[in-house]
Amino acid sequence: MTASTPAGDVSIEARVRSEVERALLRNVKGLEYLSTGDPAMGLTPKDAIYSRGTLKLYHYRPLADEVYRVPVLLVMSLVSKAYILDLTPGQSFVEFLLTQGYDVYMIDWGVPRPEDRRLRLEDYTLDFIPDCARRVLADSGEPDLSMIGYCMGGMLAVIYAALHAGGPLKNLACFTTPVNYDGMTLFRRWTDRRYFDVDRIVDTLGNVPPELIYASFEALRPAARAASQIRLWDNMWNDDFVRSYRMFDRWAADQVPFPGECFRQTTKELLWENRLYRNELVLAGRRVELARITVPFLHVMAEHDHIVPYESAKDLLAMVGSADKRDLVLKGGHVSLVAGPHASRRLWPQLDGWLSERSV
Amino acid sequence: MWREWVGQSERQWNAFLNQTMASDQYGQSLGRFMELYVTMQKGMSEAMGRTLTALNLPTRTDILALGDRLAAIEERLATIETRLERLAGAEAGDGSAAAVSRPPRTKRPATA
Repeated sequence: MTASTPAGDVSIEARVRSEVERALLRNVKGLEYLSTGDPAMGLTPKDAIYSRGTLKLYHYRPLADEVYRVPVLLVMSLVSKAYILDLTPGQSFVEFLLTQGYDVYMIDWGVPRPEDRRLRLEDYTLDFIPDCARRVLADSGEPDLSMIGYCMGGMLAVIYAALHAGGPLKNLACFTTPVNYDGMTLFRRWTDRRYFDVDRIVDTLGNVPPELIYASFEALRPAARAASQIRLWDNMWNDDFVRSYRMFDRWAADQVPFPGECFRQTTKELLWENRLYRNELVLAGRRVELARITVPFLHVMAEHDHIVPYESAKDLLAMVGSADKRDLVLKGGHVSLVAGPHASRRLWPQLDGWLSERSV
Repeated sequence: MWREWVGQSERQWNAFLNQTMASDQYGQSLGRFMELYVTMQKGMSEAMGRTLTALNLPTRTDILALGDRLAAIEERLATIETRLERLAGAEAGDGSAAAVSRPPRTKRPATA
């Protein structure tokens, strides 16, 4: 290269070289991709301190020399596997909480069995969650706890909090939690009561098969699968990209059945009648009024959430009765907000900043 | 440039297809599909049930019934276990948390 060569030519040559190298790497890495398995996930060491049916209550082994007084209980969604919060070392929300000095527990609902088709929202919010909360207090030796709920787990957590306003909840944080089902336009259209016979579906199938759950989520962004595979091929040379793609792709496809009666209840009382938003949801004779929640509350929503759109989540803050409450909208999608590569710079520090002050 | 085109195409296709899928006709079609799916499942299940019964083998309904009874037994065991734990905790003064060595619960936030 001589001093008279225009700077643009250097740039073009370097770019061409880079593209050729990437093209070669794509072929090599492409073969590797096809011949190797998915990365292992959910590896942060933990102990199952309680199990009941398919439910497991885990206590994660501490990673810090001292911890905050108040333990944290993570409540997962019913329709996805819990390891999204513990993807891989370096990209694990659980690991982050542990290194920041929280004492972390998690409710893993497991994979519903055919006999779990009878489970309803009442079972989760009036039995399983209170039972696990009690066991967390006994195990930690503390009189109160913080709860963090993700997506439908957040909905279960707010229902639990409203029905147990006397304690032992000290703080409540929710991520991408729906409350106003009128805002879930596509799901409402697909379950239109004129055409969607939820009774026949549940009475025949019992639990809703995971394939139907997976298909419904995929249908929210029909072009995403093709586009993501193009991007995967384009970035096949990039080990970090491929690793991340494999983790999320595996988790997204790793769906679980939805307990039949809970699906019937969710469809009729939430999607059709929006009872939680209207303060008309009654569980075991008890009305769920989110205004009864008075503990410090944080709700974080994702700017590009296609599963829980902003319209379905934004009203949660106003409905909660806490004096100490705030909500945030952060960049990211429904899953990347919590578990994506940028979560460690966006959501996690925000959560830590809020929760740390309230965990002593 | 083509990468931007992929992103833009994806957004446009998603918007277009979502609009179609939010229509009443699509809802009707989906409802019909689900009806067909459920009818097929029911038909297959009943045919299989008749076959298994003829072979004197348990059907899915029989296995589900067994599963229900096992789940009920599990629940009763869980209740008994809980009551025993409460009794044991009350007798022992509930020092269960102290038995295992754990880091002290003394951490304060950085701003404190």
